Amino acid sequence: MTTPAIAFKHMPPPLFTDPYADAWTAPFWEATKREQLTAPRCKNCGAFRLPPSRWCAHCRTQEIEYVDLPGTGTLYSFIVVRHPLSPDAADYVPYIPAVVDADGAPGARFLSNMVDIEPEDVQIGMPLRVVWNHVSATLTLPFWTRA
Amino acid sequence: MTMKDKAAIVGIGQTERYRRGASLPKSMMDMAIEATLLALKDAALTVEDLDGFAFYGGAPADPGAMAYLMGVPHVKFAATLTAGGSGAAGSVGMAAAVINAGLANVCVSLFVLQQVPTGRFGGSSEGPRQIPAARGGGAYGGGGNVSPEAAFTAPAGVISPGHNFSMLAQRHMYQYGTKREHFAEVCISQRNNAMKRPQSMRQTPLTLEDYFAARMISDPLCLFDYTMECDGAIAVITTSTERARDLPHTPVLISGSGIGGTGDNAHLLGNFQMPDISFASAGARDVAKQMYAMAEVGPQDVDVALLYDHFSPMVLMQLEDFQFCPIGESGPFVAEGNIRFGTGSIPVNTHGGNLSDFYCPGMTHLVEGVEQLRGTAINQVEGAEIALCTGGPSSIPMTGTILKKDR
Repeated sequence: MTTPAIAFKHMPPPLFTDPYADAWTAPFWEATKREQLTAPRCKNCGAFRLPPSRWCAHCRTQEIEYVDLPGTGTLYSFIVVRHPLSPDAADYVPYIPAVVDADGAPGARFLSNMVDIEPEDVQIGMPLRVVWNHVSATLTLPFWTRA
Repeated sequence: MTMKDKAAIVGIGQTERYRRGASLPKSMMDMAIEATLLALKDAALTVEDLDGFAFYGGAPADPGAMAYLMGVPHVKFAATLTAGGSGAAGSVGMAAAVINAGLANVCVSLFVLQQVPTGRFGGSSEGPRQIPAARGGGAYGGGGNVSPEAAFTAPAGVISPGHNFSMLAQRHMYQYGTKREHFAEVCISQRNNAMKRPQSMRQTPLTLEDYFAARMISDPLCLFDYTMECDGAIAVITTSTERARDLPHTPVLISGSGIGGTGDNAHLLGNFQMPDISFASAGARDVAKQMYAMAEVGPQDVDVALLYDHFSPMVLMQLEDFQFCPIGESGPFVAEGNIRFGTGSIPVNTHGGNLSDFYCPGMTHLVEGVEQLRGTAINQVEGAEIALCTGGPSSIPMTGTILKKDR
């Protein structure tokens, strides 16, 4: 299940091996094991929010439900990290952190990474699809690439 | 009834300026106290007069320890604004509020930096080596000492302030057609200002060619878009305007201050959920309105703008948020030469700013504001009566303060 250390071109340095999840966030990570992207939605007013914070800023209630998303989206913004901030990151630059508007979850954005694409080819507004990085038995991270 | 014009900055004090890490073996506390004593001396006040500590970002110096080490007889107020360099301009606003409320009489605001490897201000927040040290939790047993929400943001590798602001800058370029040439104009204009000041850290000319030849750190930002790192401390003393008029310097009145932001912009630094209309902004539009209203002035009245410049694109976004140009038009605005000292419509960072003068998160902007209104600045704006100082766009509270020359 676990993919090789550098499984995707321009993936970021590995920072997490576990999602450090609690009951609030675990459904998201459970779904990632099936390569299913989800997003938390307020059970009361229906507003999406990311990360899955404890309160809905629109109606001030707490309960959420996870909704399956199609796994497509649009690039909202990105950067290209070229300078490694620690020796560990040197093998991974350049990498491309990205803010993504995921289809099906209006008002909530994913902070993730663009992979398998050259930095010069990345453009805000481009259509994306999710790809999966199986880091460990408990952590599968969504990345994004050109749709 | 507001605190408008009821308190004034009466003293400024600065330690020697050091390159990163070069202040050792001095301690941060050594430098914090040295700057405070110099500021009190400049104000013709004494440690016995000092009774308030109005800090930001933790300073980072503990008021209690300072009071003990300096022998302050009575501490009547001590607090720090939350967040980081965003509070620089607001710290004197807080001092003015505290003095106006009768809580304290003489407040010091300061910042001290010592950029040694173990404690760099603005350094990376989630070094790869730190995560394996997570204690407890994991495998759905909760987060332990790691927030469960962190797994939704931290793995992307956005691990320094520069990364965060690059994300905003990239969106600004997309949304409004802003170009790297516009970032360069901020850097070059400020370098030109710094080169006229012997105390400024950056003295070599900076050309557009130099700018484009520099290595990229995090696209769209290159080396020159990032502030430098330095060591040193700067302090300012605030007291009531009534008392200030008996002191040697022309009082620099605190005319208006804004310390806050909007909730939906509170994640400016971190998870990028801001609404489309304010994503590529400095998060200061609310603060600007509140500050101008209190001071009963507008951007057209400001003679010199001292805008916190940790990253050059944030100067552009502040020009918009503080209403010097319409939203989205800061690029062409600077390209037309508007921020240049001597020729521009609104001279910006006449001291060179964090980028080229000295990085003491926002304190140099306050000092330059005071010097401009005292009439003692090296790059003196002729007849300057009103200065705007801002804190660094980051988390809430973002701050801005209008300083006014006493009549």
